Amino acid sequence: MTGDIERTLAVAAGLFILGAIGFLTRRNLILIFLSAELMMHGVGLTFVTFGRMHFSNEGQVMNVMSLTVAACEAGLALALILALFQVSRSLDVELWTDLREEDLPNPVSADELTSVVPATAPEFPKLTPAGRAPVLPKRQVVIKRNSSPKT
Amino acid sequence: MNLLQGQGGLLISILLFAFGLWWLIPGPAQRNKWVGLAAVLLGIFGQLGVMRIPDNPLVDEILFGLFAGSTLFFSALVVTHHKPVYAALWFAMATLSSCGMLLLQSAPFLAAATVIVYAGAIVVTFVFVIMLAQQAGVTPYDQRSRRPALAVIAAFVLLAAILTALHRNGNELVAAVPQPLSDVAVHDLTQANALSHPRPGESLGTMHGLGRALFGDYLFTVELAGTLLMIASIGAIAIAPRREQGTL
Repeated sequence: MTGDIERTLAVAAGLFILGAIGFLTRRNLILIFLSAELMMHGVGLTFVTFGRMHFSNEGQVMNVMSLTVAACEAGLALALILALFQVSRSLDVELWTDLREEDLPNPVSADELTSVVPATAPEFPKLTPAGRAPVLPKRQVVIKRNSSPKT
Repeated sequence: MNLLQGQGGLLISILLFAFGLWWLIPGPAQRNKWVGLAAVLLGIFGQLGVMRIPDNPLVDEILFGLFAGSTLFFSALVVTHHKPVYAALWFAMATLSSCGMLLLQSAPFLAAATVIVYAGAIVVTFVFVIMLAQQAGVTPYDQRSRRPALAVIAAFVLLAAILTALHRNGNELVAAVPQPLSDVAVHDLTQANALSHPRPGESLGTMHGLGRALFGDYLFTVELAGTLLMIASIGAIAIAPRREQGTL
């Protein structure tokens, strides 16, 4: 496997495999589609490599077509993700396991169903103090603290 | 001298370039910037000189290693990162480096189109959707993936099968491919998809040849792709939530 074609095919296979792993394991809807795009990258690279092996432009034509399909897929998928997010307020794909066949068991095991746990409190950005700290005499601060509870 | 003209010059100029950049990056130590500038310029010009040597195998090796390694590395980061925004940015990097792989496979138009479509349009749309729909902080479903061991086993069994086939039969497969058509003196127009093959003397993947293939042999496919794009845009507009249905 020292030739240029074989090693490019190996890289394309690796790209496809990594995308497949991401598609199977990730639970975020957006990341699932990103992994699908990775798989399409791998397939497109394979097309181009085989076209080069046969000294023909047909592989590149096929890759242009898969590019078109990928663009359509991304547009539709992102519209679908927005629609799904509006219903469930979450990007978790496990929330849609009710769409399975009725006689099949729930594919989500109990310890994997962590989406019922509420998300942690949002971290708001903290502004760093800007400029010079004002030099205040200590007495004024003390007076203000004493006066504020009275009012 | 032979070493300097070939592979040594390449390494030395790369090292000079890297050293000059490191020298120029502002740090605690005060450095003379002319030294760094000289190193960077020497490195760039040396690199250009090495690249002009025809058929330097080391250049191909280095480029292939760089692009292949970064493609696989960045796509592994996409799959494993637990923040979707970072995953989208690593996906853009993986796309760019796989475009480098396409360039090495003599597909320059395709590499440019992929950069425009993927890194320009798709990743930006992904980031917009992440901004619209992402909950604050790291969500629990990003931290717990689903059956990772099973997925890795299944995928790597497939990868091992592909790599074994390539190892065993790769040379025979490549050797079994018939002679390229460009060697045939008379270009046979009666052959199947004759317009898709480069003409004698023409290289692979030129704009001319690709356009001839797309609008010659694959004209109906191009029309079909245009129709598909139109239908997909109509569908995306129809599916996307309306403003009166409530904002995200």
